[in-house]
Amino acid sequence: MRYPNPSATTRATLPATRDETDNRERRRRRELGLVLFVAPTVVFLVVFVLYPLLYNLWLSLTNARLLGTTPEFVGLENYLRLFTSSTFSRYLWNTVVWTVVSVALQMVVGLGLALLINRKNLAFGTALRTFLLIPYVVPAVALALVTKWVMNGDYGIVATGLQAMGLIDHRQSPLALPAYAMAVVILVNVWRSYPFPMLIYWAALKGIDAELYEAASVDGAGWWKSFWYITLPALKNTTIVLLVLRIVWTATYFDLIWMITGGGPAGSTTHLPIMIYQASFGTFQTGYAAAISVILGLILVAGVVFYVRQSLATNNTTR
Amino acid sequence: MKRCVRILVAFLMMASLAACTGTSSDSSANPKKLVIWTNLTADAQAKVLQKQFDEVAHEMGIEVEMVTVSFSDMYTKLATAVQSGEVPDIMHTNFSGAAYLQAQDMIAPVDDVIDGLGRDDFISTYLHVLGKDGKTWGVPDWALHNSVWYRKDLFAKKGLQVPKTWDEFEAVAKALNTDTDKDGKTDLYGFAVPMHAVQVAAQTYYEMLYSEGVYTLDPQTGDYSFGNQKEQAVKALDYMIKLYKESSPPSSTEWSWNEYRNALVEGTVAMTLDMGAVVGLAEANNPDMVKNLGSFEFPGPDGTKTASLGSGYTFVASNQGGDAKVELRKEFLKRLYTPERAAERALSRPMFAFPSMYSALKIYRQDPSVAAFQTEIDSITNAFEHSNWYWYGMEPGLNQLSSQIESTTFFGEAIQGVALGTRTSADAVGYIDQQLQEQIANIGK
Repeated sequence: MRYPNPSATTRATLPATRDETDNRERRRRRELGLVLFVAPTVVFLVVFVLYPLLYNLWLSLTNARLLGTTPEFVGLENYLRLFTSSTFSRYLWNTVVWTVVSVALQMVVGLGLALLINRKNLAFGTALRTFLLIPYVVPAVALALVTKWVMNGDYGIVATGLQAMGLIDHRQSPLALPAYAMAVVILVNVWRSYPFPMLIYWAALKGIDAELYEAASVDGAGWWKSFWYITLPALKNTTIVLLVLRIVWTATYFDLIWMITGGGPAGSTTHLPIMIYQASFGTFQTGYAAAISVILGLILVAGVVFYVRQSLATNNTTR
Repeated sequence: MKRCVRILVAFLMMASLAACTGTSSDSSANPKKLVIWTNLTADAQAKVLQKQFDEVAHEMGIEVEMVTVSFSDMYTKLATAVQSGEVPDIMHTNFSGAAYLQAQDMIAPVDDVIDGLGRDDFISTYLHVLGKDGKTWGVPDWALHNSVWYRKDLFAKKGLQVPKTWDEFEAVAKALNTDTDKDGKTDLYGFAVPMHAVQVAAQTYYEMLYSEGVYTLDPQTGDYSFGNQKEQAVKALDYMIKLYKESSPPSSTEWSWNEYRNALVEGTVAMTLDMGAVVGLAEANNPDMVKNLGSFEFPGPDGTKTASLGSGYTFVASNQGGDAKVELRKEFLKRLYTPERAAERALSRPMFAFPSMYSALKIYRQDPSVAAFQTEIDSITNAFEHSNWYWYGMEPGLNQLSSQIESTTFFGEAIQGVALGTRTSADAVGYIDQQLQEQIANIGK
């Protein structure tokens, strides 16, 4: 039996130990580097997302006011008050209508226009694409003022047009009628927001393999079948992401609707963000406002989670 | 080298942090600088204020920065300013804004300024509105008074007299409805009933409530009163909606100040409740209309009017920053109140703003811009001096409830609901009562 020469072993292990130490040092430095790279993001998220979120949750359990006294813990009092309020269910319904109809129309218009600008040999393609992006850069305040102007019952071009068609009374404004007011703010919002889904869909359409369409064409599929069986399934994940983003953005969108109708007439366009604003800066009850925002947040999270899970489940079944 | 770079970076970071702590509107570090906020964003008014502030600053050898804060943003900005303890040195705001700041303990009483200027020279009701706990919390600048502004030429043409009761008023409003082009549709409406949710609906309704003797708070005791007068409040609301349906443009449920004032000046309504701003608007946009305009008091139900709606603007001084700074602010205010300056400020919006000092009122009356309205000035100043005039929620004096009414929309929502047929008057009044009580409890917390 041969035993290793101790001196040879020592010679062999010594350099290995140095290497390990060097490796460890390198790994440690690399990890430190990674931590340093990630740290700003983590700090940002903690300071600007996690802390406000937890603070808001805490505020919702207190009687905090924007001014004056130190907040006291009141348990679920704000939530009870909200659920027993005579207006909450109505404003919640307004939020649902505003969000669902706005998002659905944005997506349909956005997809339609994305299909249009994705066409090969489109005449004035660049000019058309630029033109279609204009609504996205129009400031909300300018849009609100123009909307109020064209809807004025005395001289607004839209209002007088509707009057001439007999759809509304003489010298009536659509913004003064509950059913029309919600429709107007939704349409204005769709006009302003469709470029975002249009751009995202356009980018996604570029990623679909052209050979699929050629193969379908060879098999005799027309435009509709190609759209239904190739384009739409290929856009499914894009649609999920877009829907989640648009639902969250629309449900919490405040300024446009506030500037056009102020929540009126008779509260018919008041949605939860306006309710939050009124609670914060109208009556200065920040605790109550925080409770409304928590409920709005929970509804959004629940809705989005439900939607994503359903979509993914459908994805798995169809595979 | 590396060390030098690190030190340099650290220095730059600290310097930028230090730079972030000071803002251009912060006067606390500079004992010779005053920051003044005003809600008057109209060009003519803002220019006069800026000119006078510069003059007084020059006289005193100090620096002044004027910041215009639009009325619609006022409560939001004030709330954040109060929260951060950085309220302006002086604020030129309406009486509700003063009530709000007083409730936050952010302003100093100014009785010494008023006494120094001569208390007797001030119209006493102006001082009453700004009083609380035996002190006066603002130096009244000017006040406005709600009246019915109407087309004298149309009254003459139709042989109508100034109405003295609610029934007469309703009949006159109906009689003024005119189909000018004979197409079967009304082109000129008798009386605008504006109901925009933000403030305007409440202002229109309160004129009817006050004329009938319904108050939010009892003017004598300060106790909550509206809840005990709901029957009368329903009657006033029914009357207001009746006027809307019979003689106001359908879209006036969404009308704010601009819309109803323009309608009178452009000749599409014959009467409207207003604080006289229609005169300045007509002078600027339709000078031919000025001679046709006149005003009268909105009548009481049976001819006896209890009170009317009115408010005004005041200068308030912050109590922050030590005695020397408070004294500097008060000295600045004193110098702003020469009769000429007070009259000039009110005349920057003729017939809308009426100066708080008799000496200034004398100069005001002689100005060419109001020469044609001597009868109206007599009537309005008489109302200021002798009638009861209140601002919602401030019937007994300064009260934060007023700012809560202004910064919320529950009045508008309830009133619009009745106009649109989605609520009954009783339901709307019940809702307003519940909301008012909630606000009062909220203030008390």
